[in-house]
Amino acid sequence: MATATVAQAADWPGRYHHVDQVLEQPGPRTDEAWMPGAPAKSFRENIKILVIGAGGLGCEILANLALMGFKDIHVIDMDTIDVSNLNRQFLFRPSDVGRPKAIAAAEFIMKRVPGVTVTPYHGKIQDKGTDYYMQFTLVICGLDSVEARRWINATLVDMVDEENQDSLKPLIDGGTEGFRGQARVILPTITSCYECSLDMLNKQTAFPICTIANTPRLPEHCIEWASVLEWPRVRGDEKMDTDNPDHITWLYNLAAARAKDFKIEGVTWALTQGVVKNIIPAIASTNAIIAASCCNEAFKIVTSCAPYLDNYFMMIGTDGVYSYTFQHEKRPECPVCGGELLDISVPRSWTVERFIESLIERQDIQVKKPSLMSGAKQIYFQAPPQLEAATRPNLEKLLSDLVADGSEMTVTATTLPFNLNVRITYI
Amino acid sequence: MSIDTQAHNIEEATVQISPVTQGPPDAKTRRYDRQLRLWAASGQNALEGARVLVLGGTATTTSILKNLVLPGIGHFTILDSAKVTPEDAGNNFFLEGQSSIGKSRAKEAVRLLLELNDSVEGVADESDLEEILKKRPEYFATFSLVIAHNVEPQQLAQLSSLLWADASLPPLVVVRSAGFLAEFYIQFHEHTIIDTHSETMPSLRIDKPFPALLEHAMSLDFANMDLVEFEHVPYVVILVRVLEEWKKAHGGQAPKTADERKAFKQQIAGMQRKHDEENFEEAEAQAYRAWATTSVPSDVAALFADPGLIGLKPDSPPFFHLLDALKRFTERPPHVLPLSATLPDMKSDTKQYVHLQRLYKARAEEEKEEFKKLLGVQIHDGLVSEFVKNAHGIKILRGRRWGALDEEEGDLANALQNGPREACTHLALSALSAHFAKAPGTKPTLEQLQAEAYTIAGKGFQAPEELEHALGELVRAPTADIPTTAAFLGGLVAQEAIKVITTQYVPINGSCVVDLVGSWTGIVN
Repeated sequence: MATATVAQAADWPGRYHHVDQVLEQPGPRTDEAWMPGAPAKSFRENIKILVIGAGGLGCEILANLALMGFKDIHVIDMDTIDVSNLNRQFLFRPSDVGRPKAIAAAEFIMKRVPGVTVTPYHGKIQDKGTDYYMQFTLVICGLDSVEARRWINATLVDMVDEENQDSLKPLIDGGTEGFRGQARVILPTITSCYECSLDMLNKQTAFPICTIANTPRLPEHCIEWASVLEWPRVRGDEKMDTDNPDHITWLYNLAAARAKDFKIEGVTWALTQGVVKNIIPAIASTNAIIAASCCNEAFKIVTSCAPYLDNYFMMIGTDGVYSYTFQHEKRPECPVCGGELLDISVPRSWTVERFIESLIERQDIQVKKPSLMSGAKQIYFQAPPQLEAATRPNLEKLLSDLVADGSEMTVTATTLPFNLNVRITYI
Repeated sequence: MSIDTQAHNIEEATVQISPVTQGPPDAKTRRYDRQLRLWAASGQNALEGARVLVLGGTATTTSILKNLVLPGIGHFTILDSAKVTPEDAGNNFFLEGQSSIGKSRAKEAVRLLLELNDSVEGVADESDLEEILKKRPEYFATFSLVIAHNVEPQQLAQLSSLLWADASLPPLVVVRSAGFLAEFYIQFHEHTIIDTHSETMPSLRIDKPFPALLEHAMSLDFANMDLVEFEHVPYVVILVRVLEEWKKAHGGQAPKTADERKAFKQQIAGMQRKHDEENFEEAEAQAYRAWATTSVPSDVAALFADPGLIGLKPDSPPFFHLLDALKRFTERPPHVLPLSATLPDMKSDTKQYVHLQRLYKARAEEEKEEFKKLLGVQIHDGLVSEFVKNAHGIKILRGRRWGALDEEEGDLANALQNGPREACTHLALSALSAHFAKAPGTKPTLEQLQAEAYTIAGKGFQAPEELEHALGELVRAPTADIPTTAAFLGGLVAQEAIKVITTQYVPINGSCVVDLVGSWTGIVN
């Protein structure tokens, strides 16, 4: 209540003149049952919205929401501000470097846009449970991590209780990479979810260890050699910090020397940093477009003043302005929202180890270190160490000797926010 | 004559004094790291040398400027004589709420935008646009780009004619928006791009191997090679070899029919020893390169007829001298672009791959020297290298004056046919402009806008149903500068401005329309 009073006090006549034009009159595509005026404006008082990520997209999203009239905004981010953020994360200044993003962003928005409350949480989304997420009307994600997106997506799908309409929290997800980006609206259990479209992600370039160790051809191969093989060999258990310039310089020197030995050109300090940190180019303009798109959809969802995106908008800005708006379809065998088992055909000659490799390669699963169970039978466990040791002999056995044709198997992994159930058929 | 000699010498000297590759980057490089990976130091230098003039301190223009100040544009001026109204203070992030009301809109916006980046220069100019247009038209000549948002129609017409009349005056970005709908257009005469960041890979010339490559491929003794070496022969070499043998057996012809191509692949497969050699599998997968004829890509060949090449003079832009040399280079056998030194990664070992890479590099260097002999003027080596390296993706855009689409016979009708949804959005915004030209500041009715649309579209116009969708939205919110629409445009317009300024990537040629009810964008031209 206190918040609402402060917010109202800060509203001066004319403040929402621009936004109000679309809230006081319907457009040709507005639903006929829509009520303009006060009901459409009530979101300013009674909507609590969550923003995940206070980085490139997050800063833009927070500013947009505040100006559109959202008054009760929460933001989660686990990161602190780095100097390389300042070319786009416009709520931060050089003096903020090192501070938690969520806190600095919240402070700035509240200072700049009167009457808005931004509640920051500096930490991981996984720190919070269902009770926390249940308090919001809607969630907007501006993340750069696939793992975090999979987690929040699975969490929100899991929260849906058919008997409680309020348990369905629309999830608006934005993502950018250089001049490309996408915004999408996910209605958990109703529309295609994040997991449904996992196979649309670009495959990460992974260099085979034998290339790195024996037959380097590219500067990247020399850098990977330094970071993947030489770092642990020479520096043991010391943790590599990709934000530490001394560590990058150490890797750069090794990689450059190796490149010289092999007559390979092109190892630079910047490339070394780019490869070991897996740096994705990021610019203010793309973030602005995608964040605006996300907030425009959030605004249309909470006010119903116009139809919202169904359900995917993607944009490429390298050659003119190309965009494509389409309906991404649900995947019936989606492990999060599909309900059907994923069928996997396996050659009878495959060992458990070969099968695990094939799981890791699959673009639609994206799992790094899977553990396997069939019924109560433990096929292979990555951890704890005793269990790993006990199940390790199975790696060399044929999968077909351990799991019957047509039976189910459960795949788990720390990076998977759910248990993946698959049905094995032999070929 | 020498082009930009001084600048290039400075660049060269700097590179020699402090090689940028060897140590941790300086503070500025760290700040701009994520964008330098897209447009590199050359793009950054262009941005830092640019001067942008923005007309009006609206939510949309400050959103555009934010995305130019952050990456480090050299200078911007906001020309705006207005004072901040309560309405402005509500939708603009670069005003400070109620405390900005009554102050100069230009000064407040410049002050708050400059907080984003110390290295940017910003000026608030409270002069009146109308007066400048009348008395000081030379004002615009000092800028590299002018951006106008929702400028009053008569003034916009004057401004666009003024800037169009002299090709040396800056390009003009016209931005119009109301509620959920928007459009922007870049008025320029000519825009040439060397580095389009094309995703097409230049030809490896497997079908037309240069002598050193052919010699290398034929010199290999596959039969007596040890297995490790055999398994690492790059596919490029395998294909050149097999194609040469094939041609000898087939009257000098590459495989043509489906059967021949199948046989060609079988010949590759037949060379394997263990039938799982990955380099041979790669050669089979890439076999099409052996019969795909390397020629000048049609987009590039089309540029050889460009008017810019007619009557080429020593002081013509370097791009056209380079294009002229390229044309003459490709007129000689084997009728291909200069070789690119870039070799993609492939299954191989270090020794064989690096050897092949060096063959390509040496040949590319030779061809570049040949290319230089064809140049009619002296051009700095760095620019020649850049041109030769990117020759397969070069582009020339030729623009039109703002308003041509609505005024020239048949153009709008074509656009309506090609993309009714997009063209209707443009037409609706033109109708709104026409309304405001007659009755500034008044709220239009649907009938009024329809009448304007029909007048613009001319006789015989049958409105597609999409027109009503667009007009209805404008009637609903004719003067609304909604923060999300402003931010969306802010991103798009800044992105295009960056492409124009850096002459990298390809800007739009035509009108980009935005409909945030339907969540789509499109191009009208």
